[in-house]
Amino acid sequence: MHWEDVLNNLGFLMKGLGVTLQLAVLSIAGSLVLGTVLGVIRYVKIPPFSPLAAMYIEFVRSIPLILFIVFIHFGFLPFILGTSASFFVSACVALIIFTSAYVAEIVRGGLNSIEKGHIDAAVSLGLTGFQRLAYIILPLAFARMMPALVSQFIALIKDTSLASTIGLIELTRSGEIIYERTYHEFEVLAFIALIYFMICFSLSKLSKKIEIKI
Amino acid sequence: MYNIDIDVLLVAWPELIKGIKITFFISFISSIAAFLIGLVVVYSRTMGGDFSKTFFTAFVEFIRNTPLLIQLYIVYKALPEFGIHLHPIACGIIALSIYTGAYISEVLRSGVNSITGEQYQAARGLGLNRLQTFRLIIFPQAIRIVIPPLGSQFINLVKNSSLVSFIAVTDVFYVIYKGAVDDFRFFEFFITGALIYMLLTGFIALISNSFERHYHALGRCS
Repeated sequence: MHWEDVLNNLGFLMKGLGVTLQLAVLSIAGSLVLGTVLGVIRYVKIPPFSPLAAMYIEFVRSIPLILFIVFIHFGFLPFILGTSASFFVSACVALIIFTSAYVAEIVRGGLNSIEKGHIDAAVSLGLTGFQRLAYIILPLAFARMMPALVSQFIALIKDTSLASTIGLIELTRSGEIIYERTYHEFEVLAFIALIYFMICFSLSKLSKKIEIKI
Repeated sequence: MYNIDIDVLLVAWPELIKGIKITFFISFISSIAAFLIGLVVVYSRTMGGDFSKTFFTAFVEFIRNTPLLIQLYIVYKALPEFGIHLHPIACGIIALSIYTGAYISEVLRSGVNSITGEQYQAARGLGLNRLQTFRLIIFPQAIRIVIPPLGSQFINLVKNSSLVSFIAVTDVFYVIYKGAVDDFRFFEFFITGALIYMLLTGFIALISNSFERHYHALGRCS
């Protein structure tokens, strides 16, 4: 066993972890916003937009993430921008597009789970449609959606490893760079797996705790 | 403006068909293996002793909380360090089966947990042993409830199978990616890839739906 490979390159790996976390946080924020908007559009049923949102969600959910990452980086972003985008931006855009479809379905499920009594009460208080949504239905729904959202975001954190395939030097890619030099794949990969595990596992435990409190 | 060129797809068609075959093969074998792994895990976690419960719980948590790409790399790149050399397709099948198996075990477990304790007591009263209780009483009731989430796990499996292209398997994603890069025709190949995966996942969704309707018609779906 050659664990010194990991120890000697710990700083490099931590730098990669930093990129992974940045990518994860930005993508989580982006997909939460976009997903909520899409979910609400599907929930309120505005004629031209709701079927479009539904189509977007079904399209994205039936395609592997890697297809988005690769084609957004090499195809779509260069076409739109006229110049190649950075690895980080491409990965972030792809992750947001991909995860927002799943978040939208979770949001829609959460909104649909709100009992009619709450909505009737809000109507009788004289709240407008937007107020009902923003102050009554969405906050109630978000509390119920927390477990599903957290597990979606855990999946997103794991999915950030796919950004390594286009060349972003995040945790997985920095590990690859190390073992391409040292040829001790197992040690580096096991260490990386452990880091992902610690992040994702602690998040899922945290979400269980929150769930019990709610 | 971008000109769509269909010819590049026609040229790549034989390769695409080969890729689809490999993706289908890997997905099919992995689906069966993953289901069996899920069954073993859920049986051990519900019926097994303390050791197997702890072991399989740790196994499921570890698999579910690490990226599939890392698991694929461990099977493909790290096992040779211990003298185990496998064919890339075998590596892909092993990693995909274990990864999806862990998820399927959780789906099955949610079904098993919804079966009330009286069922176990009744089975015991009939003199059934643990395997019989699980096989004849618990599992048939549990599987009906979890058909939709089970179907989405198989859909995930097909989508995840695209990652085997990073361990030197020429599956359909590899062909699409290579075609797009070689000919610099991204839109055509993206749309083709999207359609192929939509067809594959749609096929599984249809099967899952028909199963669901079949069991619903039997009136045993709670």
